[in-house]
Amino acid sequence: MLLELNNIFKWVTQGGNRVFLLKHLDLAVEQGDFLSVMGPSGSGKSTLLHVLGMLDDFNEGEYYFQGEPVHGFRDKQRARFQKEHIGFVFQAYHLIDELTVYENIETPLLYQKVSSSERKALVADMLDRFGIVGKKDLFPAQLSGGQQQLVGVARALIGKPRLLLADEPTGNLNSRQSREIMELFQELNAEGTTIIQATHSETNAAYGSRTLHLLDGSWTSTPEP
Amino acid sequence: MIRNYLKIAWRNLGKNRVFSFINIFGLALGLASFLLISLYVTDELSYDRYNEFADRIYRVDSDIRMGGTDLSLSVTSDPMGETLKKEFPQVEEYVRIYASSGSKLIRHGAEFLQEDRVAHADSTLFKIFTLPVVAGRAEHALDAPNTVVISESAARRYFGDPQAAVGQDLETQDGDGTRYRVTAVFKDIPEQSHTDFDFFFSMDNVQYNWGNFASHNFNTYVLLRDPADAAGFPDKFEVIIEKYLSPLLRQFMNTDLESFRKSGNKIEYSLMPLTDIHLHSNRVSEFRPGGDIQNVYIFSLAALFVLVIACVNFMNLSTARSSGRAREVGIRKTLGSEKSALVGQFLIESILLAALALALAFGLCALALPWFNDISGKSLHLADLLRPGYLLFLLLLPFVVGTLAGLYPAFFLAAFNPIRVLKGHKKTGGAEPRFRSALVVFQFAASMILIIGTLVIYNQLEYIRHAKLGFNKEQVVVVDTGGIAEANREAFKNEVAALSSVSRASFAGYLPVANSSRNSTSFSTDPVSTETNVFNMQIWGTDYDYIPTLGMELLEGRNFSPEYGSDSLAIIINEKAAALMGVDNPVGKKLYSKSPDMEEPEVYTIIGMIRDFNFESLRENVGPLGLRLGRNNWEAAFRVLPGKIEQTLDDIEARYHELAPGMPFQYTFLDESFDQMYRQEQRMGQVALSFAALAILIACLGLFGLVTYVAEQRTKEIGIRKVLGASLGNILALLSRDFLKLVLIAFVIGSPLAWWAMHLWLQDFAYRAPIGIWVFAVTGGAALGIALLTVAFKAFRAALANPVNSLRTE
Ligand SMILES: Nc1ncnc2c1ncn2[C@@H]1O[C@H](COP(=O)(O)OP(=O)(O)O)[C@@H](O)[C@H]1O
Ligand SMILES: [Mg+2]
Repeated sequence: MLLELNNIFKWVTQGGNRVFLLKHLDLAVEQGDFLSVMGPSGSGKSTLLHVLGMLDDFNEGEYYFQGEPVHGFRDKQRARFQKEHIGFVFQAYHLIDELTVYENIETPLLYQKVSSSERKALVADMLDRFGIVGKKDLFPAQLSGGQQQLVGVARALIGKPRLLLADEPTGNLNSRQSREIMELFQELNAEGTTIIQATHSETNAAYGSRTLHLLDGSWTSTPEP
Repeated sequence: MIRNYLKIAWRNLGKNRVFSFINIFGLALGLASFLLISLYVTDELSYDRYNEFADRIYRVDSDIRMGGTDLSLSVTSDPMGETLKKEFPQVEEYVRIYASSGSKLIRHGAEFLQEDRVAHADSTLFKIFTLPVVAGRAEHALDAPNTVVISESAARRYFGDPQAAVGQDLETQDGDGTRYRVTAVFKDIPEQSHTDFDFFFSMDNVQYNWGNFASHNFNTYVLLRDPADAAGFPDKFEVIIEKYLSPLLRQFMNTDLESFRKSGNKIEYSLMPLTDIHLHSNRVSEFRPGGDIQNVYIFSLAALFVLVIACVNFMNLSTARSSGRAREVGIRKTLGSEKSALVGQFLIESILLAALALALAFGLCALALPWFNDISGKSLHLADLLRPGYLLFLLLLPFVVGTLAGLYPAFFLAAFNPIRVLKGHKKTGGAEPRFRSALVVFQFAASMILIIGTLVIYNQLEYIRHAKLGFNKEQVVVVDTGGIAEANREAFKNEVAALSSVSRASFAGYLPVANSSRNSTSFSTDPVSTETNVFNMQIWGTDYDYIPTLGMELLEGRNFSPEYGSDSLAIIINEKAAALMGVDNPVGKKLYSKSPDMEEPEVYTIIGMIRDFNFESLRENVGPLGLRLGRNNWEAAFRVLPGKIEQTLDDIEARYHELAPGMPFQYTFLDESFDQMYRQEQRMGQVALSFAALAILIACLGLFGLVTYVAEQRTKEIGIRKVLGASLGNILALLSRDFLKLVLIAFVIGSPLAWWAMHLWLQDFAYRAPIGIWVFAVTGGAALGIALLTVAFKAFRAALANPVNSLRTE
């Protein structure tokens, strides 16, 4: 078992009322899973991914990651777990505009205090693998959307995470670019990376090994274990 | 990691050129003024430290009160040094410097040059003051009579070369010509010294009634074995007074120490640390005018003020800019950055900017230094900043300033919630704009305080310059007649008076400007003086023409006149003296004056009353003054017709040289001497003005940056409003309103503070110009106007932009 959610609640208070973003949510993900989360806009997909990615808090429930209780972690511990085990891919890429492709990919390693020579080797491998060696000195603004998302994925993978979270990774891409990214995900999954993606598209969801549907912060069907 | 941060910082600089420029330039201005003032302050604090024994050298000061007159002297009696050394083992050595004989005329070829920087000194001079000797030998240099040690520049002046000077003779005009053998040449005394002598003559050549504990004429320095011993000297001086001064009191004044003190008199001695003399001592017979610790404080405060404004600016712009960085912060957090790493990153950026600003500040400093030297009256060099202690300080400065200025933005940025900023929430919490507003208010309030301060200072200076003085300082030339033989001075005055361009002439040893002679005596209104009828009054010896020449105004009675034979005991007093006597018209009243050695008091008859005039600075109230006939012919005053000054001066000089061949002709203008008294205030005014201008400039830079930022933030809103039909004026009002509100708040906070501070400053003056409403009106108007211009400049561009462009890019 890679991770497990038990009865997760997340809410915000608006005008004195609780608005539930996540409600009574359970989830179990095994090592090597490729899970697609579907649901209409505003159903809570992003919120769930942020909770899973330890980027956001939840109000009630338990979250175990590799058997460790994330709900009991302090900020520092959470940040450490996050940077060691989780990679995140965003719909809007979220590359740092002031850094080159090479530097963007390298950044997570800086936070993991990887030595300079090792960093060089890792980034070079990644550039090579994604076929963007020729672009390594360009800035994000000089790339197409598909290329930017490639860099985003490369950056998410550079720290060799156990879990890759992708929030509508192809939402801003055309269909050819989407396919490339999805095929890449499949490849990564085959190599052992656990992936959870949120998506609107049936086609993309089909790349995963299973699909769950979210509506108003709850599963529409009970998730199988 | 650091490289990554620096890279980002550098690229960010390039990306936001306007912001970067405003940030760096604003801080550089603040740092530059800080550097300038540091130079000034270190210079002021470094006085006399060149002495190896600086910490062990003390000057013996004397405080005397007799007959109601207080004297704070930098000199003491001639046997004091010797006695201290003999009585107390703590005193290792002493030296006396005697400068009371004034300047000397020294032969240079065919003529005589007047040298002002001359003194006589004991042979122990070099044992106390470690002046490096460049030629000759310091040992025994002043042991024998008719020896002299001279400075390197004096040696060059008279002999061309220091080596050539040793063994040569200098001829002075003392008596009928005395020759002094040059025994050593010392390196010029540094500018940062309370002395500036070029010549030290042997003490043996001083004609003096030696061994007199009651006369105070020698600047005396003692070298203590241990500075800690200084604490015990109040008691030691008491011993000296008991042992050596008590007998004198009994012998000459028929009184003992106790009753001498009981009747309000005093004699006290104290040790003044050498290094405190420049800033803390302003006594009679100082060698040169000193600095003022208060100015050091004021300058430092002003510089700190500007630096703080600049740092606030820096903070303000950085936080404003932070929204642009929010996305980066969010991304970094999702990539695993800890908060501390982010704080570190932004601090490093801030420090980098501060370092750049420091580099720029050096350049600005170099540009401003000549001007600053001019107003501060110093000769500072940029190279002074490169001393080891300073270098360390300068290396630390960007860290300190960068950290101070970057701390808030760093924490502010690092606290961003990554999810919210990545979702595109631009505003994260309402505290941020409020904090920025507070900073703008602070900057403008500080600037306005500086402006109001400047206006009040200038207003006060103008007031002083045009105040009714009670005499006419214009068109008066004062000539030094000391070089003319006593017998010929009257003839000189009369010859000049006969010139057609000279309307009045008088001897004028006492003048109503600073640095002129003074003489005070106590008078009583009855023959027998009691505590209630005695007052102390300046009493100046003048002649028949003194009052008309200086344009003084007789209110009652008459001037001295040769037609009245008895005028030798006649006296003309000022209004203040009459007020002290308690009469409206004092003419005909008597005044009595008795010195200790007199049997009967002298009786003066008041023949006139003149309008009060200031004879000290206008900081002080007019004191009581009496004029009487007396010999005071070492200076003569001539009232010259307008437009004839140049020609008249030539004529006077020609007559001077006839009567005093080979002597230097020296003169001053009375109005210039008068202005001299307010040099300090003028400097203050200029410094205040410069800092006020700087503060306003920096505050405007900050405002400009903020408006730029807000306009950018609101491009979309502006676009929509324009599509909906808003006019240019609507948009301008929209953008300006908030900022103008801030300026108004700043004004409301700043004006009372400024009023209060300047009210305190004015308390130092006996004559004060009131702080008018106009000061505040002008300041408020100016600040508002400048702010409006700054905002309008930016807002125009935002308002004129094509709305479709801004809407599409969002
Ligand atoms: N911090 C928040 N405060 C209030 N409402 C929020 C907050 N975050 C998300 N929501 C709301 O929660 C719902 C779920 O959002 P999200 O997880 O982004 O949905 P999805 O990604 O499926 O489109 C939306 O209606 C959104 O407006
Ligand atoms: Mg979403």
